Amino acid sequence: MTFWQKIFSVVRRELRIWVRRPIYLLGTVAVMAFCTIFYLSFLKDGVPSDVPIAVVDLDRSSTSRNFCQQLDATQLGKVIYYDDFSSARADLQGGRVTSVCLIPEGFNRDIQAQRQPHLSFYINGLYFLGGSLAWKDILTMVNLTSGAVQRQVLRMKGVDENEIMGLLRPVDVDVHQIGNPTMNYGAYLANMMIPAMLQMVIIIVLIYSLGTELKYGTSRHLLQLTGDDIYAAVSGKVALYTLLFTAIGWTIEIILYKWMDFPLAGRLGEMLLACFLLVLASEAVAILIIGCVPVCRFALSIGALYSVLGLSLTGFTLPVEAMPLGLRGLTMMYPLRYYYQIYVHVGIFDNPFGDWYVYVLAMLAFCFLPFLVLKRLHSAYDKLDYARN
Amino acid sequence: MRNSYLKRWLRDALGIFNLELKNILNDGGVMIIFIAAGFFYPILYNFVYKNGILEDTPIAVVDNADCSDSRRMIREMDATREIEIAYECVSMEEAKELFRQRKVNGIIYFPADFGECLAYKQTAKFSIYADMSSFLYYKNLLMGSNFVMLHEVNNIKIERYSFEGLTDAQADQAVNTVLYEDINPYNRAFSYSIFLISAILMLIIQQVMFYGMSMSVGTMREENRSFASLPDSLKGRGVGRVVLGRGAVYWLIFMIIGIYVTIVVPAMFHFPQRGSFWDIMVLLCLFVTVSVFFCMAWSTLVTRRESAFILFLFMSPVCVFLTGFSWPTSAFPVFWKYFSYLFPSTFGCQAFINLNTAGANLEIIAPLLRALCIQGVIYFVLACIAVYIENFVLKRKDEIDSAIRSVEDRIIERGERIGDRIEKQLQR
Repeated sequence: MTFWQKIFSVVRRELRIWVRRPIYLLGTVAVMAFCTIFYLSFLKDGVPSDVPIAVVDLDRSSTSRNFCQQLDATQLGKVIYYDDFSSARADLQGGRVTSVCLIPEGFNRDIQAQRQPHLSFYINGLYFLGGSLAWKDILTMVNLTSGAVQRQVLRMKGVDENEIMGLLRPVDVDVHQIGNPTMNYGAYLANMMIPAMLQMVIIIVLIYSLGTELKYGTSRHLLQLTGDDIYAAVSGKVALYTLLFTAIGWTIEIILYKWMDFPLAGRLGEMLLACFLLVLASEAVAILIIGCVPVCRFALSIGALYSVLGLSLTGFTLPVEAMPLGLRGLTMMYPLRYYYQIYVHVGIFDNPFGDWYVYVLAMLAFCFLPFLVLKRLHSAYDKLDYARN
Repeated sequence: MRNSYLKRWLRDALGIFNLELKNILNDGGVMIIFIAAGFFYPILYNFVYKNGILEDTPIAVVDNADCSDSRRMIREMDATREIEIAYECVSMEEAKELFRQRKVNGIIYFPADFGECLAYKQTAKFSIYADMSSFLYYKNLLMGSNFVMLHEVNNIKIERYSFEGLTDAQADQAVNTVLYEDINPYNRAFSYSIFLISAILMLIIQQVMFYGMSMSVGTMREENRSFASLPDSLKGRGVGRVVLGRGAVYWLIFMIIGIYVTIVVPAMFHFPQRGSFWDIMVLLCLFVTVSVFFCMAWSTLVTRRESAFILFLFMSPVCVFLTGFSWPTSAFPVFWKYFSYLFPSTFGCQAFINLNTAGANLEIIAPLLRALCIQGVIYFVLACIAVYIENFVLKRKDEIDSAIRSVEDRIIERGERIGDRIEKQLQR
């Protein structure tokens, strides 16, 4: 039997297993479909709108009413009126509103008399996005109100209309968001969360697939099929999974960058390459885990703990620079980390291959990991000398 | 009569309790999950997010204006906590190259006419370019430059107003028409760790319990036992004592883990603990109870030991998002809003954030507690129904088995036919 014939027979066997036990396709195709639908539909607005902002208007003047109406009219905010501060504060603590804006009594009177009234606003920074957006929204409104009053004063002083703008706003900044010009929160998260879920699924399902052979003692049958050739046995299984996962991964990439039109500075082909490498490297990690611990249940528990932690350690939310020094090395253990680096180079900066080939090499280096444990896996498969479940 | 019923009830429940406890303690896999995930995960997460704040984001500056104002602004920006001026470049090309190589995470550009515009009392503009690979870079760049800009704007305005013939006091009044103070009482520095850790601590309890219980249910099923077998003497009644007896084991284990996660861990990492101890205990008791019934109801779907990981591991991050800790609950799409009501974590995490970190009291979080109670009742009923059905199935096992076998045979036959066809195709 040539090597290829052995692989074919393993692939045939694996296909039969898939048909017999739906868990493999449920755990891969159905899970990834759910995740893709979830992250794309949950965050589909990109930026949240109508964030609830509590206003306690103790002044009830035309100025304060105008302020509230303008705040309500912004896309970001939705004003909820309260009669007293304590009930508004209770709702702030209860997370029902993101912020409380307190307009003091005599607000209008003090503005007219130039007595500089104090406006206070309280933000609940525990609901990150809602809190920081409300903060930005209120701050803008305060500045606009203040600007409107100043313009009136300047007009009364007889300042030339052309000069007023320079007086109101002597310094201005224009902000360019490179890689995500609309500040689409959905694109930012989905871009990494969905591949992260792919990494998780690959590791779990492949560990399970290799581990059940041990658990049900079918590994000898597998080895018989390949003439006691562990390389062919594992390659056959992995080949089929690589096809499946690459197909899933590429579908996701195409959905992200072609169908959803998420910003991508570089070429799609480069992301497809990164995705393929992510599949290979994650598979290598799975084989390493089951090879080191050839007991299905322990390997799965370890795989689960490892891959859940990967979501944080990739550093796309809290950057790696902000992590404690001891953990930065740990982030290198995750293929997803390199996928993220390639995404930044390709998707955000459109850098040439020369700038990110290191990460490609790193992902390829993962592929050598299985060779460290195949011998051990072979003896486990052959002698079944480890606990069955 | 009544007394003897109660006695028997307690004796049965205790028997089931002991059996389940023995099972858990003898199961290495479940113990690994309980200990590693329950005890080490909270520590690990706290360690990852220990700093929580990104400081001194490296920035390149291109100062084509080269005037005293721009130089002063650059110095001030460098002095902020958010920004560090890592490179001063002579041209935009050089800065772009540094940006591209990721040596800096942003560029600040002062155009040549910046000083001139200031001198002519026009609006002087500068530009910032932020790397959006992490929103924290953008936030730092924006906040750092905005603080400096607001400070400068005020100084320049007062200067210009004086020029228009206002006295210093008048100018100050005109510039600062409305004074404001922004107060962020619960998370003063917008620290990433405070908001994230608050949300995931409770979730860890629910998820660990679910995976552990599913593993134990799956194992029993594999070994042809059932998690739900009723004492034979009861003739099919006594569902309640099975559910409560088994539940009590998990309840006890997870009250211990829960106290550790919600009280000890925050104290270990000097995390804000603004709530009262007893309020948190009330929440914890309720949450663990609801979680036990939740896990019992859902784990019935697990037929094999490992299935829970393969089919439900991906739900952990989904549940994190469904707590509404980042994307605000008010902006949830309708479907996902109702979907989030399936999980105790949705209410439990919010309640914990509000109680522990925002210092609320039970009265304020009453709506969340009410929702948890409703969930608890529903899941208790579901868990009972699951036990009842399981028993029903067990008693008629043979009939059902043969029916299932015939369906299975047919599926396998068809599958093999498909396999053969693929085989032939491959050979060709």
